[in-house]
Amino acid sequence: MHKFTVLLIEDEKSISDFTSKSLSSQGYRVCCASTGREALSLASSLCPDVLLLDLGLPDMDGMEIIRQIRTWSSCPILVISARTQEHDKVQALDAGADDYLTKPFGISELMARIRTSLRHSNRLNNGYSVPQHPYRAKDLEIDFFKRSITIAGQPIHLTPIEYKIVAFLAQNSGKVMTYSAVMSNVWGPYAESDNKILRVNMANIRRKLEQNPAEPIYIFTEVGVGYRMADDETPSNRI
Amino acid sequence: MQRNTVQQMLRDLSITAGLLVLTTILTFILFFKVSDNPANIALFYIIGIITISKHTSGYFYGILASAIGVIFINCFFTYPYFTINFSPPDYPFTFLCMLALSMVTSATTSHSKSQAELLASHEKELMEAEKEKLRANLLRAVSHDLRTPLTGILGASASLEEQWENYESTERQELIHNIHDDANWLLNMVENLLSVTQIQTEGSQLNTTLEVVDEVVAESVTRLKKRLPDADIHITLPPEILLVPMDAMLIEQVLINLMENALLHSHSEHPIEFIVENHTNNVYFRIIDYGVGLKEEHLNHIFDGTYSENVSSDGSKGIGIGLSICYSIITAHHGTITARNHDKGAEFLCILPKEKINA
Repeated sequence: MHKFTVLLIEDEKSISDFTSKSLSSQGYRVCCASTGREALSLASSLCPDVLLLDLGLPDMDGMEIIRQIRTWSSCPILVISARTQEHDKVQALDAGADDYLTKPFGISELMARIRTSLRHSNRLNNGYSVPQHPYRAKDLEIDFFKRSITIAGQPIHLTPIEYKIVAFLAQNSGKVMTYSAVMSNVWGPYAESDNKILRVNMANIRRKLEQNPAEPIYIFTEVGVGYRMADDETPSNRI
Repeated sequence: MQRNTVQQMLRDLSITAGLLVLTTILTFILFFKVSDNPANIALFYIIGIITISKHTSGYFYGILASAIGVIFINCFFTYPYFTINFSPPDYPFTFLCMLALSMVTSATTSHSKSQAELLASHEKELMEAEKEKLRANLLRAVSHDLRTPLTGILGASASLEEQWENYESTERQELIHNIHDDANWLLNMVENLLSVTQIQTEGSQLNTTLEVVDEVVAESVTRLKKRLPDADIHITLPPEILLVPMDAMLIEQVLINLMENALLHSHSEHPIEFIVENHTNNVYFRIIDYGVGLKEEHLNHIFDGTYSENVSSDGSKGIGIGLSICYSIITAHHGTITARNHDKGAEFLCILPKEKINA
Protein backbone atom coordinates (compact mmCIF):
# COMPACT_ATOMS: atom_id res chain seq x y z
CA MET A 1 0.00 0.00 0.00
CA HIS A 2 1.21 3.45 -0.83
CA LYS A 3 2.12 5.44 2.24
CA PHE A 4 1.56 9.17 2.42
CA THR A 5 4.73 11.13 3.08
CA VAL A 6 4.65 13.81 5.73
CA LEU A 7 7.42 16.36 6.01
CA LEU A 8 7.61 17.61 9.56
CA ILE A 9 9.40 20.93 9.97
CA GLU A 10 9.92 21.59 13.65
CA ASP A 11 12.98 22.65 15.62
CA GLU A 12 11.82 21.51 19.08
CA LYS A 13 13.14 17.99 19.39
CA SER A 14 10.57 16.79 21.91
CA ILE A 15 7.65 17.94 19.79
CA SER A 16 9.13 16.61 16.59
CA ASP A 17 9.83 13.29 18.36
CA PHE A 18 6.35 12.58 19.60
CA THR A 19 4.70 13.88 16.45
CA SER A 20 6.80 11.77 14.12
CA LYS A 21 6.37 8.69 16.33
CA SER A 22 2.61 8.98 16.37
CA LEU A 23 2.47 9.75 12.66
CA SER A 24 4.51 6.66 11.72
CA SER A 25 2.41 4.54 14.05
CA GLN A 26 -0.61 5.72 12.04
CA GLY A 27 0.97 4.52 8.81
CA TYR A 28 2.54 7.69 7.46
CA ARG A 29 6.08 7.98 6.22
CA VAL A 30 7.65 10.81 8.18
CA CYS A 31 10.68 12.96 7.40
CA CYS A 32 11.88 15.58 9.83
CA ALA A 33 13.61 18.86 9.18
CA SER A 34 14.73 21.17 11.93
CA THR A 35 15.75 24.21 9.90
CA GLY A 36 14.15 26.14 7.08
CA ARG A 37 17.00 25.45 4.67
CA GLU A 38 16.82 21.71 5.30
CA ALA A 39 13.05 21.87 4.93
CA LEU A 40 13.20 23.53 1.54
CA SER A 41 15.70 21.08 0.11
CA LEU A 42 13.81 18.09 1.54
CA ALA A 43 10.52 19.42 0.23
CA SER A 44 11.88 19.71 -3.31
CA SER A 45 13.56 16.28 -3.28
CA LEU A 46 10.78 14.32 -1.52
CA CYS A 47 7.67 16.02 -2.86
CA PRO A 48 5.79 15.17 0.34
CA ASP A 49 2.01 14.75 0.41
CA VAL A 50 1.61 16.97 3.46
CA LEU A 51 3.83 19.57 5.07
CA LEU A 52 3.68 20.26 8.81
CA LEU A 53 5.35 23.57 9.46
CA ASP A 54 6.21 25.23 12.75
CA LEU A 55 6.30 28.98 12.15
CA GLY A 56 9.07 29.67 14.66
CA LEU A 57 12.19 28.27 13.02
CA PRO A 58 15.70 29.33 14.00
CA ASP A 59 17.05 30.27 10.57
CA MET A 60 14.09 31.40 8.47
CA ASP A 61 10.70 32.99 8.76
CA GLY A 62 8.04 30.32 8.37
CA MET A 63 6.09 32.68 6.14
CA GLU A 64 9.01 32.71 3.70
CA ILE A 65 8.98 28.91 3.52
CA ILE A 66 5.28 28.91 2.66
CA ARG A 67 5.85 31.47 -0.08
CA GLN A 68 8.79 29.60 -1.59
CA ILE A 69 7.03 26.24 -1.56
CA ARG A 70 3.88 27.76 -3.04
CA THR A 71 5.86 28.89 -6.08
CA TRP A 72 6.16 25.31 -7.29
CA SER A 73 3.91 23.05 -5.23
CA SER A 74 0.28 22.96 -4.14
CA CYS A 75 0.75 20.26 -1.54
CA PRO A 76 -1.20 20.93 1.65
CA ILE A 77 0.68 22.94 4.29
CA LEU A 78 -0.43 22.69 7.90
CA VAL A 79 0.95 25.42 10.08
CA ILE A 80 1.69 24.76 13.73
CA SER A 81 1.74 27.86 15.89
CA ALA A 82 1.37 28.95 19.47
CA ARG A 83 -1.84 30.47 20.70
CA THR A 84 -2.15 34.28 20.87
CA GLN A 85 -0.60 34.67 17.44
CA GLU A 86 -3.84 35.17 15.51
CA HIS A 87 -2.11 37.62 13.27
CA ASP A 88 0.53 35.09 12.23
CA LYS A 89 -2.10 32.45 11.60
CA VAL A 90 -4.12 34.69 9.32
CA GLN A 91 -0.97 35.79 7.52
CA ALA A 92 0.14 32.19 7.01
CA LEU A 93 -3.28 31.18 5.72
CA ASP A 94 -3.38 34.13 3.37
CA ALA A 95 0.15 33.30 2.17
CA GLY A 96 -1.08 29.88 1.05
CA ALA A 97 -1.11 27.60 4.06
CA ASP A 98 -4.11 25.26 4.13
CA ASP A 99 -4.82 25.02 7.82
CA TYR A 100 -3.30 25.52 11.20
CA LEU A 101 -2.97 23.76 14.51
CA THR A 102 -2.50 25.52 17.79
CA LYS A 103 0.15 24.33 20.18
CA PRO A 104 -0.34 22.28 22.24
CA PHE A 105 -2.31 20.01 19.96
CA GLY A 106 -3.59 16.49 20.49
CA ILE A 107 -2.60 13.66 18.21
CA SER A 108 -6.20 12.89 17.23
CA GLU A 109 -6.65 16.53 16.20
CA LEU A 110 -3.46 16.40 14.13
CA MET A 111 -4.56 13.20 12.39
CA ALA A 112 -7.96 14.67 11.57
CA ARG A 113 -6.37 17.78 10.06
CA ILE A 114 -3.95 15.73 7.98
CA ARG A 115 -6.79 13.54 6.67
CA THR A 116 -8.84 16.61 5.80
CA SER A 117 -6.03 18.31 3.95
CA LEU A 118 -5.18 15.12 2.05
CA ARG A 119 -8.78 14.74 1.03
CA HIS A 120 -8.93 18.31 -0.20
CA SER A 121 -5.71 17.94 -2.18
CA ASN A 122 -7.06 14.71 -3.70
CA ARG A 123 -10.22 16.46 -4.74
CA LEU A 124 -8.13 19.18 -6.29
CA ASN A 125 -6.13 16.62 -8.24
CA ASN A 126 -9.32 14.99 -9.47
CA GLY A 127 -10.20 18.24 -11.10
CA TYR A 128 -13.52 18.76 -9.35
CA SER A 129 -14.13 22.36 -8.54
CA VAL A 130 -17.68 21.77 -7.32
CA PRO A 131 -18.20 18.75 -5.10
CA GLN A 132 -20.31 16.10 -6.81
CA HIS A 133 -21.82 14.80 -3.61
CA PRO A 134 -24.10 16.41 -1.15
CA TYR A 135 -22.40 17.48 2.05
CA ARG A 136 -23.41 15.51 5.10
CA ALA A 137 -22.46 15.96 8.73
CA LYS A 138 -24.58 14.56 11.55
CA ASP A 139 -28.16 15.62 10.69
CA LEU A 140 -27.17 18.37 8.29
CA GLU A 141 -27.30 17.79 4.57
CA ILE A 142 -26.50 20.25 1.82
CA ASP A 143 -27.40 19.51 -1.78
CA PHE A 144 -25.26 21.81 -3.92
CA PHE A 145 -27.31 21.22 -7.06
CA LYS A 146 -30.71 21.87 -5.56
CA ARG A 147 -29.23 24.51 -3.28
CA SER A 148 -31.17 23.03 -0.43
CA ILE A 149 -30.23 22.56 3.20
CA THR A 150 -31.99 20.13 5.49
CA ILE A 151 -31.51 19.15 9.08
CA ALA A 152 -32.86 15.69 9.89
CA GLY A 153 -34.95 15.96 6.74
CA GLN A 154 -36.48 19.30 7.71
CA PRO A 155 -35.71 22.04 5.16
CA ILE A 156 -33.90 25.10 6.54
CA HIS A 157 -34.59 28.46 4.95
CA LEU A 158 -31.54 30.63 4.50
CA THR A 159 -31.21 33.93 2.68
CA PRO A 160 -29.12 33.76 -0.54
CA ILE A 161 -26.14 35.33 1.23
CA GLU A 162 -26.44 32.92 4.13
CA TYR A 163 -26.60 29.98 1.72
CA LYS A 164 -23.50 31.20 -0.07
CA ILE A 165 -21.57 31.37 3.19
CA VAL A 166 -22.67 27.93 4.31
CA ALA A 167 -22.03 26.38 0.89
CA PHE A 168 -18.55 27.87 0.72
CA LEU A 169 -17.68 26.57 4.18
CA ALA A 170 -19.17 23.17 3.39
CA GLN A 171 -17.13 22.86 0.20
CA ASN A 172 -14.07 23.47 2.34
CA SER A 173 -15.32 21.45 5.28
CA GLY A 174 -12.80 20.60 7.95
CA LYS A 175 -10.54 23.43 6.90
CA VAL A 176 -10.36 26.79 8.57
CA MET A 177 -11.49 29.60 6.27
CA THR A 178 -10.30 33.07 7.13
CA TYR A 179 -12.79 35.91 7.37
CA SER A 180 -11.23 37.54 4.32
CA ALA A 181 -11.50 34.33 2.28
CA VAL A 182 -15.20 34.00 3.08
CA MET A 183 -15.80 37.70 2.51
CA SER A 184 -14.19 37.77 -0.93
CA ASN A 185 -15.91 34.56 -1.96
CA VAL A 186 -19.38 35.69 -0.92
CA TRP A 187 -19.29 39.45 -1.49
CA GLY A 188 -16.68 39.51 -4.24
CA PRO A 189 -13.11 40.76 -4.33
CA TYR A 190 -14.07 44.35 -3.51
CA ALA A 191 -15.76 43.46 -0.25
CA GLU A 192 -15.21 45.77 2.67
CA SER A 193 -12.41 44.84 4.99
CA ASP A 194 -14.75 45.12 7.97
CA ASN A 195 -16.05 41.64 8.64
CA LYS A 196 -18.93 42.70 10.89
CA ILE A 197 -21.51 41.89 8.23
CA LEU A 198 -20.15 38.36 7.89
CA ARG A 199 -20.26 37.81 11.61
CA VAL A 200 -23.80 39.05 11.96
CA ASN A 201 -24.83 36.78 9.08
CA MET A 202 -23.01 33.93 10.78
CA ALA A 203 -24.85 34.56 14.05
CA ASN A 204 -28.12 34.35 12.11
CA ILE A 205 -27.04 31.16 10.35
CA ARG A 206 -26.17 29.61 13.68
CA ARG A 207 -29.60 30.42 15.03
CA LYS A 208 -31.11 28.55 12.10
CA LEU A 209 -28.71 25.60 11.93
CA GLU A 210 -27.50 24.94 15.42
CA GLN A 211 -29.74 23.60 18.12
CA ASN A 212 -27.71 25.48 20.70
CA PRO A 213 -25.73 28.36 19.18
CA ALA A 214 -23.49 28.41 22.24
CA GLU A 215 -22.36 24.86 21.57
CA PRO A 216 -22.22 24.65 17.79
CA ILE A 217 -21.81 21.26 16.18
CA TYR A 218 -21.67 22.31 12.51
CA ILE A 219 -19.84 25.61 12.17
CA PHE A 220 -17.07 26.43 14.62
CA THR A 221 -15.50 29.80 15.24
CA GLU A 222 -11.75 30.22 15.36
CA VAL A 223 -11.63 33.53 17.17
CA GLY A 224 -9.63 36.15 15.32
CA VAL A 225 -9.10 33.86 12.32
CA GLY A 226 -12.28 32.59 10.72
CA TYR A 227 -14.68 29.65 10.60
CA ARG A 228 -14.36 25.91 10.28
CA MET A 229 -17.21 23.69 9.18
CA ALA A 230 -17.55 20.17 10.56
CA ASP A 231 -15.98 17.51 8.36
CA ASP A 232 -17.99 16.05 5.53
CA GLU A 233 -19.14 12.58 6.48
CA THR A 234 -20.15 11.40 3.01
CA PRO A 235 -18.47 7.98 2.71
CA SER A 236 -17.26 8.47 -0.86
CA ASN A 237 -15.39 11.57 0.24
CA ARG A 238 -13.32 9.59 2.70
CA ILE A 239 -9.87 8.52 1.72
CA MET B 1 19.74 65.73 26.44
CA GLN B 2 21.98 68.28 24.72
CA ARG B 3 19.16 69.35 22.48
CA ASN B 4 16.83 69.66 25.41
CA THR B 5 19.11 72.06 27.28
CA VAL B 6 19.55 74.17 24.15
CA GLN B 7 15.81 74.24 23.68
CA GLN B 8 15.29 75.15 27.33
CA MET B 9 17.83 77.96 27.01
CA LEU B 10 16.18 79.36 23.89
CA ARG B 11 12.79 79.20 25.56
CA ASP B 12 14.03 81.02 28.68
CA LEU B 13 15.83 83.64 26.64
CA SER B 14 12.77 84.38 24.56
CA ILE B 15 10.59 84.58 27.68
CA THR B 16 13.07 87.04 29.19
CA ALA B 17 13.28 89.16 26.06
CA GLY B 18 9.54 89.12 25.45
CA LEU B 19 8.58 90.06 28.98
CA LEU B 20 11.21 92.81 29.11
CA VAL B 21 9.94 94.29 25.86
CA LEU B 22 6.35 94.04 27.12
CA THR B 23 7.28 95.71 30.41
CA THR B 24 9.11 98.48 28.58
CA ILE B 25 6.15 99.15 26.28
CA LEU B 26 3.75 99.25 29.23
CA THR B 27 6.09 101.53 31.10
CA PHE B 28 6.26 103.86 28.11
CA ILE B 29 2.48 104.06 28.06
CA LEU B 30 2.48 104.77 31.80
CA PHE B 31 5.25 107.30 31.44
CA PHE B 32 3.53 109.35 28.74
CA LYS B 33 -0.14 108.95 29.67
CA VAL B 34 -0.29 108.71 33.45
CA SER B 35 2.70 109.80 35.43
CA ASP B 36 6.43 109.98 35.21
CA ASN B 37 7.06 109.14 38.84
CA PRO B 38 10.22 106.98 38.83
CA ALA B 39 8.92 104.93 41.75
CA ASN B 40 6.00 103.62 39.64
CA ILE B 41 8.35 102.87 36.76
CA ALA B 42 10.64 100.85 39.01
CA LEU B 43 7.63 98.97 40.36
CA PHE B 44 6.58 98.05 36.82
CA TYR B 45 9.98 96.63 36.11
CA ILE B 46 9.94 94.74 39.38
CA ILE B 47 6.69 93.06 38.34
CA GLY B 48 8.31 92.14 35.03
CA ILE B 49 11.40 90.74 36.70
CA ILE B 50 9.40 88.67 39.19
CA THR B 51 7.39 87.20 36.31
CA ILE B 52 10.58 86.39 34.41
CA SER B 53 12.19 84.73 37.43
CA LYS B 54 9.08 82.71 37.99
CA HIS B 55 8.85 81.38 34.45
CA THR B 56 12.52 80.64 33.77
CA SER B 57 14.77 78.05 35.31
CA GLY B 58 17.72 79.03 37.49
CA TYR B 59 18.88 82.45 38.68
CA PHE B 60 20.60 83.65 35.56
CA TYR B 61 17.65 85.05 33.64
CA GLY B 62 16.28 86.95 36.66
CA ILE B 63 19.65 88.59 37.26
CA LEU B 64 20.04 89.34 33.57
CA ALA B 65 16.56 90.85 33.51
CA SER B 66 17.21 93.06 36.55
CA ALA B 67 20.48 94.29 35.06
CA ILE B 68 18.77 95.11 31.77
CA GLY B 69 15.86 96.63 33.66
CA VAL B 70 18.09 99.01 35.57
CA ILE B 71 19.83 100.02 32.35
CA PHE B 72 16.47 100.53 30.61
CA ILE B 73 15.10 102.67 33.44
CA ASN B 74 18.27 104.66 33.46
CA CYS B 75 18.27 105.08 29.72
CA PHE B 76 14.60 105.65 28.89
CA PHE B 77 12.83 107.00 31.91
CA THR B 78 15.23 109.22 33.86
CA TYR B 79 16.75 112.51 32.94
CA PRO B 80 18.90 112.80 30.80
CA TYR B 81 16.73 110.63 28.48
CA PHE B 82 18.27 108.08 26.04
CA THR B 83 21.68 108.18 27.66
CA ILE B 84 23.19 105.80 30.12
CA ASN B 85 24.37 107.65 33.13
CA PHE B 86 25.03 105.91 36.41
CA SER B 87 26.56 108.90 38.12
CA PRO B 88 23.77 109.73 40.59
CA PRO B 89 24.59 107.83 43.77
CA ASP B 90 21.27 106.03 44.19
CA TYR B 91 21.51 103.92 40.96
CA PRO B 92 23.78 101.23 42.35
CA PHE B 93 21.33 100.98 45.23
CA THR B 94 18.32 100.58 42.88
CA PHE B 95 20.18 98.00 40.89
CA LEU B 96 21.16 96.06 44.01
CA CYS B 97 17.58 96.10 45.25
CA MET B 98 16.22 94.75 41.97
CA LEU B 99 18.98 92.15 41.83
CA ALA B 100 18.18 90.95 45.33
CA LEU B 101 14.49 90.81 44.50
CA SER B 102 14.98 88.78 41.37
CA MET B 103 17.30 86.39 43.20
CA VAL B 104 14.84 85.84 46.01
CA THR B 105 12.03 85.21 43.52
CA SER B 106 14.13 82.84 41.45
CA ALA B 107 15.23 80.97 44.53
CA THR B 108 11.65 80.59 45.75
CA THR B 109 10.22 79.49 42.45
CA SER B 110 13.02 77.10 41.60
CA HIS B 111 12.76 75.67 45.09
CA SER B 112 9.03 75.05 44.73
CA LYS B 113 9.61 73.67 41.23
CA SER B 114 12.17 71.17 42.43
CA GLN B 115 9.93 70.33 45.37
CA ALA B 116 7.09 69.50 43.00
CA GLU B 117 9.40 67.41 40.86
CA LEU B 118 10.58 65.58 43.93
CA LEU B 119 7.01 64.89 44.98
CA ALA B 120 6.11 63.61 41.51
CA SER B 121 9.11 61.33 41.39
CA HIS B 122 8.30 60.08 44.89
CA GLU B 123 4.79 59.28 43.78
CA LYS B 124 6.10 57.51 40.71
CA GLU B 125 8.49 55.50 42.82
CA LEU B 126 5.67 54.57 45.15
CA MET B 127 3.52 53.44 42.23
CA GLU B 128 6.41 51.49 40.78
CA ALA B 129 6.98 49.87 44.14
CA GLU B 130 3.29 49.00 44.37
CA LYS B 131 3.39 47.48 40.89
CA GLU B 132 6.58 45.66 41.75
CA LYS B 133 4.97 44.31 44.88
CA LEU B 134 1.97 43.09 42.90
CA ARG B 135 4.24 41.48 40.37
CA ALA B 136 6.34 39.87 43.07
CA ASN B 137 3.21 38.58 44.78
CA LEU B 138 1.95 37.15 41.55
CA LEU B 139 5.31 35.60 40.76
CA ARG B 140 5.55 34.06 44.20
CA ALA B 141 2.03 32.67 44.00
CA VAL B 142 2.61 31.40 40.49
CA SER B 143 5.90 29.72 41.18
CA HIS B 144 4.36 28.11 44.24
CA ASP B 145 1.44 26.94 42.17
CA LEU B 146 3.63 25.76 39.32
CA ARG B 147 5.88 23.76 41.56
CA THR B 148 3.13 21.42 42.69
CA PRO B 149 2.18 19.99 39.29
CA LEU B 150 5.80 20.09 38.14
CA THR B 151 6.79 17.98 41.11
CA GLY B 152 4.05 15.57 40.16
CA ILE B 153 5.16 15.39 36.56
CA LEU B 154 8.83 14.97 37.42
CA GLY B 155 8.14 12.34 40.04
CA ALA B 156 5.75 10.32 37.92
CA SER B 157 7.89 10.42 34.80
CA ALA B 158 11.07 9.57 36.73
CA SER B 159 9.51 6.61 38.45
CA LEU B 160 8.09 5.40 35.15
CA GLU B 161 11.49 5.64 33.54
CA GLU B 162 13.38 3.94 36.35
CA GLN B 163 10.92 1.34 37.48
CA TRP B 164 8.92 0.56 34.39
CA GLU B 165 9.03 -3.19 35.04
CA ASN B 166 7.94 -2.92 38.66
CA TYR B 167 4.59 -1.38 37.84
CA GLU B 168 1.40 -3.08 36.82
CA SER B 169 0.04 -1.76 33.57
CA THR B 170 -2.90 -0.09 35.37
CA GLU B 171 -0.45 1.68 37.66
CA ARG B 172 1.51 2.91 34.68
CA GLN B 173 -1.67 4.16 33.09
CA GLU B 174 -2.56 6.01 36.26
CA LEU B 175 0.84 7.67 36.45
CA ILE B 176 0.68 8.73 32.81
CA HIS B 177 -2.81 10.04 33.37
CA ASN B 178 -1.57 12.12 36.30
CA ILE B 179 1.23 13.56 34.18
CA HIS B 180 -1.29 14.47 31.54
CA ASP B 181 -3.60 16.17 34.05
CA ASP B 182 -0.81 18.14 35.65
CA ALA B 183 0.51 19.27 32.28
CA ASN B 184 -2.97 20.37 31.30
CA TRP B 185 -3.29 22.38 34.45
CA LEU B 186 0.08 24.00 33.77
CA LEU B 187 -1.03 24.90 30.29
CA ASN B 188 -4.13 26.64 31.62
CA MET B 189 -2.04 28.57 34.11
CA VAL B 190 0.36 29.67 31.41
CA GLU B 191 -2.53 30.91 29.29
CA ASN B 192 -3.81 32.90 32.23
CA LEU B 193 -0.40 34.44 32.74
CA LEU B 194 -0.21 35.29 29.06
CA SER B 195 -3.41 37.28 29.41
CA VAL B 196 -1.92 39.16 32.33
CA THR B 197 1.13 40.18 30.37
CA GLN B 198 -1.15 41.33 27.59
CA ILE B 199 -3.06 43.63 29.92
CA GLN B 200 0.07 44.94 31.56
CA THR B 201 1.90 45.77 28.38
CA GLU B 202 -1.09 47.33 26.70
CA GLY B 203 -2.12 49.34 29.74
CA SER B 204 -5.70 50.51 29.62
CA GLN B 205 -5.69 50.58 25.83
CA LEU B 206 -7.00 47.13 25.10
CA ASN B 207 -7.12 45.96 21.56
CA THR B 208 -10.90 45.72 21.41
CA THR B 209 -13.00 44.86 18.39
CA LEU B 210 -16.72 44.32 18.09
CA GLU B 211 -17.32 40.65 18.80
CA VAL B 212 -20.47 38.57 18.52
CA VAL B 213 -21.28 37.39 22.03
CA ASP B 214 -22.52 33.99 20.79
CA GLU B 215 -19.16 33.25 19.24
CA VAL B 216 -17.14 34.22 22.26
CA VAL B 217 -19.32 32.15 24.55
CA ALA B 218 -19.20 29.22 22.14
CA GLU B 219 -15.42 29.32 21.87
CA SER B 220 -14.89 29.55 25.57
CA VAL B 221 -17.16 26.56 26.16
CA THR B 222 -15.40 24.58 23.42
CA ARG B 223 -12.00 25.38 24.84
CA LEU B 224 -13.10 24.43 28.33
CA LYS B 225 -14.60 21.16 27.12
CA LYS B 226 -11.34 20.27 25.44
CA ARG B 227 -9.82 20.19 28.89
CA LEU B 228 -12.83 19.04 30.91
CA PRO B 229 -14.82 16.85 28.51
CA ASP B 230 -17.41 15.97 31.16
CA ALA B 231 -18.26 19.57 31.96
CA ASP B 232 -22.03 19.95 32.23
CA ILE B 233 -23.01 23.52 31.42
CA HIS B 234 -26.48 24.90 30.66
CA ILE B 235 -26.12 27.92 28.43
CA THR B 236 -28.82 30.49 27.82
CA LEU B 237 -28.23 33.14 25.18
CA PRO B 238 -30.43 36.15 24.49
CA PRO B 239 -32.51 36.05 21.28
CA GLU B 240 -30.78 39.18 19.94
CA ILE B 241 -27.40 39.15 18.25
CA LEU B 242 -25.12 41.20 20.46
CA LEU B 243 -21.97 42.94 19.34
CA VAL B 244 -19.77 44.00 22.22
CA PRO B 245 -16.38 45.68 22.01
CA MET B 246 -13.81 43.45 23.68
CA ASP B 247 -10.57 41.59 23.37
CA ALA B 248 -12.07 38.19 22.65
CA MET B 249 -9.06 36.20 23.86
CA LEU B 250 -9.12 37.87 27.25
CA ILE B 251 -12.88 37.66 27.77
CA GLU B 252 -12.77 34.00 26.82
CA GLN B 253 -10.13 33.53 29.47
CA VAL B 254 -12.43 35.16 32.04
CA LEU B 255 -15.39 32.98 31.08
CA ILE B 256 -13.24 29.85 31.12
CA ASN B 257 -11.83 30.71 34.53
CA LEU B 258 -15.26 31.37 35.97
CA MET B 259 -16.80 28.22 34.49
CA GLU B 260 -13.89 26.09 35.61
CA ASN B 261 -14.08 27.62 39.04
CA ALA B 262 -17.78 26.83 39.27
CA LEU B 263 -17.28 23.28 37.99
CA LEU B 264 -14.33 22.35 40.15
CA HIS B 265 -14.94 24.17 43.39
CA SER B 266 -18.68 23.99 43.91
CA HIS B 267 -18.36 20.33 44.98
CA SER B 268 -21.63 19.54 43.33
CA GLU B 269 -22.80 17.30 40.51
CA HIS B 270 -25.52 19.73 39.55
CA PRO B 271 -24.79 21.30 36.13
CA ILE B 272 -23.72 24.92 36.20
CA GLU B 273 -25.80 27.64 34.63
CA PHE B 274 -24.31 30.15 32.18
CA ILE B 275 -26.74 32.94 31.31
CA VAL B 276 -26.11 35.87 28.98
CA GLU B 277 -28.58 38.74 29.37
CA ASN B 278 -29.07 41.74 27.15
CA HIS B 279 -29.63 44.98 29.08
CA THR B 280 -29.96 48.50 27.71
CA ASN B 281 -26.34 49.55 28.06
CA ASN B 282 -24.66 46.39 29.23
CA VAL B 283 -24.37 42.69 28.65
CA TYR B 284 -24.56 40.49 31.74
CA PHE B 285 -22.72 37.19 31.95
CA ARG B 286 -23.96 35.13 34.89
CA ILE B 287 -22.22 31.95 35.93
CA ILE B 288 -24.22 30.16 38.59
CA ASP B 289 -23.36 26.98 40.39
CA TYR B 290 -25.40 24.91 42.81
CA GLY B 291 -22.74 23.88 45.25
CA VAL B 292 -21.22 24.82 48.56
CA GLY B 293 -21.12 28.55 47.80
CA LEU B 294 -18.47 31.02 48.81
CA LYS B 295 -17.40 31.71 52.36
CA GLU B 296 -18.91 35.02 53.46
CA GLU B 297 -15.62 36.26 54.87
CA HIS B 298 -13.96 35.75 51.49
CA LEU B 299 -16.50 37.63 49.42
CA ASN B 300 -14.88 41.01 49.92
CA HIS B 301 -11.41 40.12 48.78
CA ILE B 302 -12.14 37.23 46.46
CA PHE B 303 -10.77 39.11 43.44
CA ASP B 304 -7.59 40.58 44.92
CA GLY B 305 -5.42 37.52 44.50
CA THR B 306 -5.13 36.63 48.16
CA TYR B 307 -8.01 34.18 48.14
CA SER B 308 -5.93 31.07 48.37
CA GLU B 309 -5.85 30.02 52.01
CA ASN B 310 -7.87 26.90 51.30
CA VAL B 311 -5.48 25.90 48.54
CA SER B 312 -4.03 23.05 50.50
CA SER B 313 -7.26 21.94 52.12
CA ASP B 314 -9.29 21.24 49.01
CA GLY B 315 -6.50 21.15 46.44
CA SER B 316 -7.91 24.09 44.50
CA LYS B 317 -4.68 25.25 43.01
CA GLY B 318 -4.41 28.73 41.69
CA ILE B 319 -8.02 29.78 42.17
CA GLY B 320 -6.98 33.12 43.66
CA ILE B 321 -4.79 34.00 40.72
CA GLY B 322 -7.47 33.02 38.22
CA LEU B 323 -10.05 35.28 39.83
CA SER B 324 -7.72 38.23 40.20
CA ILE B 325 -6.89 37.88 36.51
CA CYS B 326 -10.62 37.91 35.72
CA TYR B 327 -10.93 41.07 37.76
CA SER B 328 -8.13 42.88 35.96
CA ILE B 329 -9.40 41.83 32.54
CA ILE B 330 -12.97 42.95 33.22
CA THR B 331 -11.80 46.21 34.79
CA ALA B 332 -9.63 46.91 31.76
CA HIS B 333 -12.80 46.53 29.68
CA HIS B 334 -14.55 49.14 31.89
CA GLY B 335 -16.85 46.46 33.19
CA THR B 336 -17.52 45.09 36.64
CA ILE B 337 -17.29 41.64 38.13
CA THR B 338 -19.00 40.61 41.34
CA ALA B 339 -19.46 37.46 43.33
CA ARG B 340 -22.32 36.59 45.65
CA ASN B 341 -24.06 33.64 47.19
CA HIS B 342 -27.60 32.68 46.27
CA ASP B 343 -29.80 30.13 48.07
CA LYS B 344 -28.13 27.06 46.65
CA GLY B 345 -24.65 28.08 45.63
CA ALA B 346 -22.50 30.85 44.22
CA GLU B 347 -23.02 33.29 41.39
CA PHE B 348 -20.45 35.35 39.50
CA LEU B 349 -21.67 38.25 37.43
CA CYS B 350 -19.63 40.08 34.79
CA ILE B 351 -21.06 43.21 33.29
CA LEU B 352 -19.56 44.51 30.06
CA PRO B 353 -20.62 47.84 28.52
CA LYS B 354 -21.98 47.62 25.00
CA GLU B 355 -20.72 51.01 23.89
CA LYS B 356 -17.08 51.76 23.44
CA ILE B 357 -15.90 53.91 26.30
CA ASN B 358 -13.20 56.36 25.40
CA ALA B 359 -11.27 56.62 28.62
